[in-house]
Amino acid sequence: MSQLKAGEDQRDTDEAREAGEAQSFRIDRRTLVKSGVIAGAAAVITSKKTAVFAQGYPEPPPPPEPPLSCDPRPANSPPTTPFVDDLPIPQPAFPTILNPAPTKFANIAAGEAARDAHQAWDRFPPSVFYQAVAAPSLHRFHRDLQPTYLWTFNGQYPGQTFLGYYGVPALVRFRNNLPIDHPVPGINEITIHLHNGHTPSESDGFAGDFFGTGLWKDNHYPNVYAGVDEYGGIGDPREAMRSFWYHDHRAEFTAPNNYLGLNGSYILYDQKDPGHELYAPGSLRLPSYYGLTDIPLQLHAILFCPTANGRNEAFITGAVPGQVDKWIVNGKIQPKLTVRRRKYRFRVLNTGPVKEWNISLIGSDGQQKPMTVVAVDANFVEEPFEITNRTLNIPVASRYDIIIDFSQFAAGTSVYLREAQPQFVGVPTPDPAPGLPIENVLMRFDVVPREPWFPPDTPPIPDHLIDMPPPIVPDNTFEWRFTRDGSPVRFRINGQVFDHNRVDHVVLKGSSEEWVLANDVIAGNWTHPVHIHFEEGRIISRTHTTRDANGEIVSVDNVPLLPEELGRRDIYRLPPQDRLVIRLRFRDFVGRYLIHCHNMNHEDDFMMVRWDIVDSVEELTRRRREIDERRMLAGLPPQYANGNKKGRLV
Amino acid sequence: MKRRELFTGLGPSVCRPEVRRMARLIPNARFRTQDDKEVRFYDDLIKGRQVMVMMMYANCETFCPLATQRMVELHHQALARRMGKDLFMVNISLKPHEDTPAALKAYAQMHKALLPGWTFLTGDQYDVDTLRYTFFSHEHIGIDLDADQHAGSMKIINDKTGRWFHADVFASNRTVLDHIQWSDTPKSLAERLKDNQKLQQQIDRERALYGYRKIA
Ligand SMILES: [Cu+2]
Repeated sequence: MSQLKAGEDQRDTDEAREAGEAQSFRIDRRTLVKSGVIAGAAAVITSKKTAVFAQGYPEPPPPPEPPLSCDPRPANSPPTTPFVDDLPIPQPAFPTILNPAPTKFANIAAGEAARDAHQAWDRFPPSVFYQAVAAPSLHRFHRDLQPTYLWTFNGQYPGQTFLGYYGVPALVRFRNNLPIDHPVPGINEITIHLHNGHTPSESDGFAGDFFGTGLWKDNHYPNVYAGVDEYGGIGDPREAMRSFWYHDHRAEFTAPNNYLGLNGSYILYDQKDPGHELYAPGSLRLPSYYGLTDIPLQLHAILFCPTANGRNEAFITGAVPGQVDKWIVNGKIQPKLTVRRRKYRFRVLNTGPVKEWNISLIGSDGQQKPMTVVAVDANFVEEPFEITNRTLNIPVASRYDIIIDFSQFAAGTSVYLREAQPQFVGVPTPDPAPGLPIENVLMRFDVVPREPWFPPDTPPIPDHLIDMPPPIVPDNTFEWRFTRDGSPVRFRINGQVFDHNRVDHVVLKGSSEEWVLANDVIAGNWTHPVHIHFEEGRIISRTHTTRDANGEIVSVDNVPLLPEELGRRDIYRLPPQDRLVIRLRFRDFVGRYLIHCHNMNHEDDFMMVRWDIVDSVEELTRRRREIDERRMLAGLPPQYANGNKKGRLV
Repeated sequence: MKRRELFTGLGPSVCRPEVRRMARLIPNARFRTQDDKEVRFYDDLIKGRQVMVMMMYANCETFCPLATQRMVELHHQALARRMGKDLFMVNISLKPHEDTPAALKAYAQMHKALLPGWTFLTGDQYDVDTLRYTFFSHEHIGIDLDADQHAGSMKIINDKTGRWFHADVFASNRTVLDHIQWSDTPKSLAERLKDNQKLQQQIDRERALYGYRKIA
C-alpha cells in the first residue's frame, strides 16, 4: 500500500514534468528535500490527485469477503502436516512520502485523529516516514489450511518490521481502513502503541485515544535514548532498547484486535548493535543481518474453524479470544527454517493475547541444547546467559533476543524449538526426536553447511554486553495492587477499574520512584504480566507471601531473581501472592501513560490505570491534591501525605 | 422451558457472519416486566437495539439502589433525549423468586425509575443465571457465583453492530457517557470527521483550562 502510494506520487511528478513544469518542481523538490521535509515535497509536486486526497480520506476500499460463522466451537482446529511451510520473515517496512505532509498539530481538516501537538516535534523533527494501513486481509497459516480473515497492517501478517536508527526520528502514519460494518468481534477503532518506546504521550497509543475507520494518525517516534534532558543530544546510550513491537491498544478490545493480527516488530540499531556484522568501532558484532541471521519469531496461537465458504477462520468466543490449539510462528504453523552452521539471533516475541510460552531448544538426540539470551524486553543484559536445563518463560508482550549457535550441530541434522504446552497437530507423526512429541514442537531448524555466499560466523558472543545505567535512587515510593475483587468483581488496580478519564498517580518529569507491584488476588490464581509504558524498570526484589487456609500470613520469603530479571525490563511477571519492588525514572516527555496487566483479557477487563508525568513541582502538587480530593469524596484515604511535596505514600 | 428454546440461533449457523454469533449468545428466554407483561428477552428487548443491561434486585441494600440512582441521574442529565427512542435500559432481577412484577414496579417507583425506555424484568432463575454468565462472567465462570457482585456493572449492547461494551456505572458521568457513545452505531465518515473536529476543540479547551488532558 505504502509503496503504491509513493509510486503514484512519483507518477504525478513525471506527468507534471512532461507537462513542461519541470523547472519549478525541481527547485521546489530539491529545496524541500534538503531541508528535510521530504513529505512536504509531495504536497507541492503532486497535482490534481493530491487536491482530492487532502480534502478528506476516501471511503475504505471493499474488504475481502467477510468471514462466516463456524459455530459451534470446534473441538479442535483442522489437522496440519508439520514442517511443510518455510518460516516467513516479516518484510521490512519501506519509508515513503506522506501526503499530506505530517504536521506538529493534528491535521484535522485532512482527517487526522484529534490529539495534542507533538511535544518533541521541534527537538526531534522526523526525517523518515512510514505508512501502516490497518485493513482486513486474508492470510494462510498453513498449506493444509484455507485462508483466514485477519485485520493486519499493510495487508501482511505479521505486520512489516520497522528498522530504525537511534538519532533518526521517525514518523508512522497509521491509517484505519477497517470495515465500518465489521463481522468479527474486534472493533474498527485503533490506537497504536509502540511497546517499550520512549515515546511522547500523544504518540504512545493511549487506550482512550482510538480513532475510527477513515481517519488516520501520525505517531512521532523520536528514536532517542532516555535521558535527553540530562545528557543532551539523543540521550544516554546506556538506555538503548532494541526489539520493540507495535500493536493496537484500544480499551476493551486489545485482545480481539491483536488476536486478529494488528501487530508487528520495530527494531532500533545504534553503534553497539549496528544492524550488520562487519567490524565497526563499538559494535558487539552479534548476528545482525535482518532476515538472514537476525530473525524475529512472533509467537501466536489460534483456534481455527472451517466455514462454508471454504475458509478457516480464527475462532473467537464473544469478545475475548478463548481456547486455542495451533501454535504459530511468524504466521505459519510448525514452519521450518534452513540454517547454516553459524550463530543466529532470534528476536522472540509473544504477541498474546493471553498465552504464555515456555520454550527450549531440543536436538535430534532428544537432549536440550543451549540457547544464549542476550536481550530481555529489548534491553541487552549485562552478561549473556544460557538456557540449558530449563525452559525460557515468555509472558505476553515480552521479548527475548536469543542466540543459537548452529555450528554445534552436524549438517543434515535438525533442531527443534519446543513449547512446554502441547498443541493439536492431527496428522499422525512420529516423535521428531526421542522424548519430543510432535505436539510440543513450535518449529524446526534444518542445519546445512554455510555456502560461500552466506555471511561467515560472527565472533564469540562477548561476556560483557553493556554497562548498566547508574542505579536509580528513588525520590518516592508508590504501590500498585493487582486484585480481582470489589463490587462488582473485576480485575482492579488499587481497587479501581480502568477509566480513561481518571488519573491515579502523577509523577514529576526527571524524578525517580520505587514502585511496588503486588499481586493480591484472593479469588483465583491469576498471574499478571504487568507492563509499564514509557520507561524501563529495574527489579530490586521479589517476595512471596504464603498464607494459611484463613488467609493469615505464614511467611514472607525472598525469591531469588532469575538471570532474565536482573537487567532492565518492561514486563514484570507477577504470580499470585508475589510482590515486586522495582525502580524507574521518568524522563524527557510529559503526558498520559499507562500501567496494566498485559494478559490482554485482563487488560480489556479494566486491569489498567492511567498515570501522568508532569513538568513542574507546582503542577505535581496541584495534580496530587486533585487526586486526594477525589479520593476523599469517594471515601478513600488520601494517597499522598499532607505537606510532603514529593508525595511519599502514606 | 426447553433449553434449546433459550437461544436465538436458529437455522444453519454456517451462513451467518461471525458477529451474529454474539447475538446468538443472548438467551431469548421469557421474562415478565414491571407491568406484568410477558416478553422475549432477545426478540422484544435486544433485537436491533442499543441497550444497557444491568442486574439488580428489589431488596438489595448496597449497590443496586446506588447504581439505579446513578443511571436515573444520567438519564435526566444527558440521556433523556435518546431513551426509549434509540437507547434502552434493561434491569434484570437477580432474585426472580422474590421479585414479582409488582415488587419491581415498587422498586422502580421508589427510585423514580419508571422512565421512557426503562424495563425491569423478572423470570426464571435458570434464565437469569444464563444471562448473568453471558453478559458478565467472560470466561471466568466459577468465581462469579456471588449474585450480589454484579450490580454497578453495566453491559451496553448494540445489536445492530454486534458490539458489546462494558461500563462501571460508578465511574464519572463523562466516562459512562463515553462508553455509551462508543457503542453507538457508527456514523458516516463526514459526521465522524465533524466529531473529530469537536474532540480536537475539546482537547485544546482542556489544555487551556487545566494545562493537561483532564477528561478523555
Ligand atoms: Cu492479569
